[in-house]
Amino acid sequence: PPTAESIVVPFGHVIGNEKWRGSEIAQKLQGKVRLVFEDGLGLVDFHLSNRTCILYISEADLVAGDEFKRRLVRFRNASSLGGIIIVERTQISDQYFLAVQKLVVLELGMVLLPVANQAEAAQLITQLVIFCISGEIVREQSKDHSSNPFLRKQCSQLADPAVFRTVQQIPGVGKTKALLLLQQFGSIHRLCNASVKELELVVGQAVAQQIHSF
Amino acid sequence: FPRESRLCVLVDSREISSGAEVISSLKAVHGVKVQVCSLSSSDYIVSNRLAVERRSLSELLTSANRSKLTQRIQCLHRMFERICVIVEKDRTKAGEMSRFLQRTQYYDSLLSALVRAGVRILFSSCQEETAALLKDLALVEHRKNAAICVPTEVEGHKREMLNFYLSIPNLSYLAALNMCHSFRSVREMANSSLQDLVAGAQVSPQMAAEIHRYLHYSFEEQMLPESPYVTG
Repeated sequence: PPTAESIVVPFGHVIGNEKWRGSEIAQKLQGKVRLVFEDGLGLVDFHLSNRTCILYISEADLVAGDEFKRRLVRFRNASSLGGIIIVERTQISDQYFLAVQKLVVLELGMVLLPVANQAEAAQLITQLVIFCISGEIVREQSKDHSSNPFLRKQCSQLADPAVFRTVQQIPGVGKTKALLLLQQFGSIHRLCNASVKELELVVGQAVAQQIHSF
Repeated sequence: FPRESRLCVLVDSREISSGAEVISSLKAVHGVKVQVCSLSSSDYIVSNRLAVERRSLSELLTSANRSKLTQRIQCLHRMFERICVIVEKDRTKAGEMSRFLQRTQYYDSLLSALVRAGVRILFSSCQEETAALLKDLALVEHRKNAAICVPTEVEGHKREMLNFYLSIPNLSYLAALNMCHSFRSVREMANSSLQDLVAGAQVSPQMAAEIHRYLHYSFEEQMLPESPYVTG
């Protein structure tokens, strides 16, 4: 039986495990995302995209014992999908939260997001879907991640002011000497390899010695 | 390469006021070596590649600090291979009723964006728990051979070298510290191969290439934003 396989998720859809039909999550998701139910999703509760899926741990799962842990480990071993674990953190299940977090995030290296109830879970899943979709549109169109503000941006800052500052960190070198040295040697690498004689032509004997031994 | 055997965490000096219990708990309860320094880039550094940001839940529920957080994470992405955000519940003062904080759509979209950006997220209910999480993170990184293992205090010539290395763009405090301990002089560092830089600074090959480019960058005075003689 399929347990944690990748499935094809049509664009903008969420595929839910049949067991969630009629649940509060399903009701709150419908209207916000296109939710389709399927049988045989195995360990997975919701597929958000071809690569991202959700495993839901309820308050009851947490209280019932370690069965959910086996499910997580089986998923982790069987699947290359990015698994997001949503866990119900309530007054009753709070005592288990730290241990679950340690297992999921630190040991299994998966994502764990706590919610208080199914309504909160539906709101969270909606936002995750929006980011899945925008991520995929951007990936197809431009191979750039610019829609996500947290992703690395190519930094187009000029190196010149930084180089100027770096050279001023050499003991005995201030703005004036830094500029003279850079005018003469061009790069930090060439400055580092200048001989004392070459340095003496630009700065005084003492500073030349200081730079050379730095 | 001189090695430290105890778990070590670098803490930004601003955390002394805002996270005093995190620091004391790391030291007293977990026996972690805590070095307070002026990190400016992140709140904590727990390994050669992992930076940790500590944020209060209330701060993440409203969009007021959005641009500040965005800039901070972008900056960390340039410096560190791995980033973790610890979301800490706000402290309630004695006698004060615990505030009920409504979960917002903004908060959910923020979490989603962080997940998509590959940022790890951990949840903590108090400063003591945050300290335990930091220790756990340091322990995992130690198991993966990425632990901080150089002396974290530097003086004299090494201090001058550290300041020089810290002025290299996108170089983390720890990479600069590693450089101080693995190269005898700045010249030796400047003449080292990419592989030597990777091993010496404990950085990714991409970062090593960036450093190499920077050292060989040919400076042009005209590209300075303003004449260096004008400002004092």
